[in-house]
Amino acid sequence: MTGLTGLSPLTVLAEASTPDGTAPPPLPGFVVSSFSPLVADVATRCLRARHGSAPVTAEAGARTAVVLVSGSGDVRMAEHVAAAVDAGTRIGPLLFFQAVPNSVAGHIAARWGLRGPVVCLCPVGEPRADGLAQARLLIDDGDADEVLVVLVEQAGAVETAHALLVSEGESR
Amino acid sequence: MREPPHRTGITGLAAVSALGRGAQAQLAGVLAGVAAFGPVRRFDVGGRKVTNAATLAGAGTLAEELTGVIRDACAGLTDAERARTPLVLGLHGHPDAGRSARATATVRYAAEVAARAGLAGVAKVYTCACVSGSTAIADAAAMIRAGRHGRVVVAAGYLVEPDQFALFDSGRALANDGAARPFSTGRSGLLLGDAVSAVVLEPGGDREVLAEVVGWGRAGDGCHAVRPDPAGRGMATAIGDALRRGGVSPAEVGYVNANASGAEGDSAEAAALRAVFGAAPVPVSSTKSVHGHGLEGSGLLELVVTVLAVAAGKLPVNAGHLGPDPACDVDLILDAPRRAATPYALTLNAAFGGANTALLVRAGS
Repeated sequence: MTGLTGLSPLTVLAEASTPDGTAPPPLPGFVVSSFSPLVADVATRCLRARHGSAPVTAEAGARTAVVLVSGSGDVRMAEHVAAAVDAGTRIGPLLFFQAVPNSVAGHIAARWGLRGPVVCLCPVGEPRADGLAQARLLIDDGDADEVLVVLVEQAGAVETAHALLVSEGESR
Repeated sequence: MREPPHRTGITGLAAVSALGRGAQAQLAGVLAGVAAFGPVRRFDVGGRKVTNAATLAGAGTLAEELTGVIRDACAGLTDAERARTPLVLGLHGHPDAGRSARATATVRYAAEVAARAGLAGVAKVYTCACVSGSTAIADAAAMIRAGRHGRVVVAAGYLVEPDQFALFDSGRALANDGAARPFSTGRSGLLLGDAVSAVVLEPGGDREVLAEVVGWGRAGDGCHAVRPDPAGRGMATAIGDALRRGGVSPAEVGYVNANASGAEGDSAEAAALRAVFGAAPVPVSSTKSVHGHGLEGSGLLELVVTVLAVAAGKLPVNAGHLGPDPACDVDLILDAPRRAATPYALTLNAAFGGANTALLVRAGS
C-alpha cells in the first residue's frame, strides 16, 4: 500500500546505529528484554545528533512523529510472559506496559517532547523502506514535518537497531 | 489543475465480538446496552485477581475469525475483485509469539490470512496496540483521498487470551467488580473483550457506500510512556485534525464513541472533549462498556459499531454507569439510546505511548 513510487526521497537529517550485539544501557522501568533499551538508546543518539539535548523546541515537537518498525517485535518479552503463564508463576507488574512497542515510543516522545503521531509497524517489505514510506505518508498528509524512524530486530541471536530522523527537506 | 480529493467510502463491514457474529449482532448488542462480561472459560484464570472478560463462546482461532470477517465484509465483491484487493491488518503479533520460534514471522501470518480470505496479499501490518485498527483506517483514507491507491480491506483483531490477560491482571488494569464503567464514578478499570472486524474502504464512486470516512486525526501526547496527558491535548489535536479534514464544525457532530475504558485516565479524554466541544457538548458513550476492550481490535470494532449506530439513527448507551464523576463532565448517553441528530460521528481511540486517533464518519452515501 505504499503507493509512493516516483516521489522524491526524504532528507535524512540524522542517523544512528547500534552495532550488532552491543548491549544498550539499561532503561529504567523497562526490564527483562533489551528491546526497549535498544530503541531508546538508538533514538536518543539520533535525536541528539540533530537537536542536541532533550527536549526539542515546542514548535518542532508538535510536528515530529515517531515510527517504530520491527518484524520480530519484542521476542524476549513474549517468551518471558509465555513461560510465566505456562508455568503459573508471577508476572511482574512492570511488564504490563512493556508488552507493546508503543510504550518505548511514548517514552522517547515524552522525553523529547515529540507530539506528532506514534505509529508501530511490522514491515511487509524491506524495513527501512517501509519505515520511510510511513514517514512519507505522515508528512504528505500534514501530520508531521519530521519523523523519527526506528528500526529494531530481535530475532535470532543478533539484535540490531537503527534510527533515522527524516523530513521533506532541510527544514531548519 | 489540481484534481479534487477522492472520497473514502466504507462499502463493506463485518465484526465478531462477545455480542455475537455479524454486523447486526453488534448493533443489537450495543443498542440493548447489556454488558457482555462474564467469567472467562477459554483458559485457566485460576491464578488471576480478576476473572471476567467479554468472550464469544465457540470462537475459532484468530486467523479463522479474521478470515471470516474479511469474507463477510467482502461479500459484495467478486472473487476477481477480492483477488485485486490488498489487506491491511492490525494485530498484536503472531498469536504464538513466545512459544514458537516460527511465530516471529508475523508478516507471514498476515499473508496467510490474506490468502485464506482470497485477497491480493498483505500490504501493511500495524502493531500500535489499541490504535492499530484506527491508525490503519486513517492512513488508508489518506492514501485514497490523495489518489494513491484504490480499494483496500482493513482488518484488525484480538481474541482474549492468557498472556495479555495475565499482563493486564498483574498491572491491576482490570476492573475488580465485573463491569467496565467508562467515565463513571467508582470505575476500577477496563475489562478485555473479543474484537475482530474488517472494513472495505474504497474511493467513492460505483458501489453503494455505507458510510464515508470524511476526516481523521492522529497525534501524540508527548507526555508519558503509558499514561495519557491529563489535559487530553493529544486527543484534542487528533479530534481537531479530523474535523478540519472533514470540513465539519464541532456543532455538526452528533455522536462520539469514546475511547474511555473504565480506567482512571478516562478523565483525560473528557478534558479533550470539553476542549473541542466547549459549551455545546456532544452526546458521548463508550461501547467498550458493552463489548469490552479489544486492544488491537478495538478501534476497528468501534468504527464498525459507530457506523451501524449512526446509520440506524440510534446512539448506544454508556453501560455500567454508577454516577457522575466531576472529572468526566461529558454528555453521557445513559439509560436508553438517543436519536442521532446528525449523520456525523467521531470514534476515538488511544493507546500506550500517548498515541491518539480520531475518525470522523458520515453515515449513508
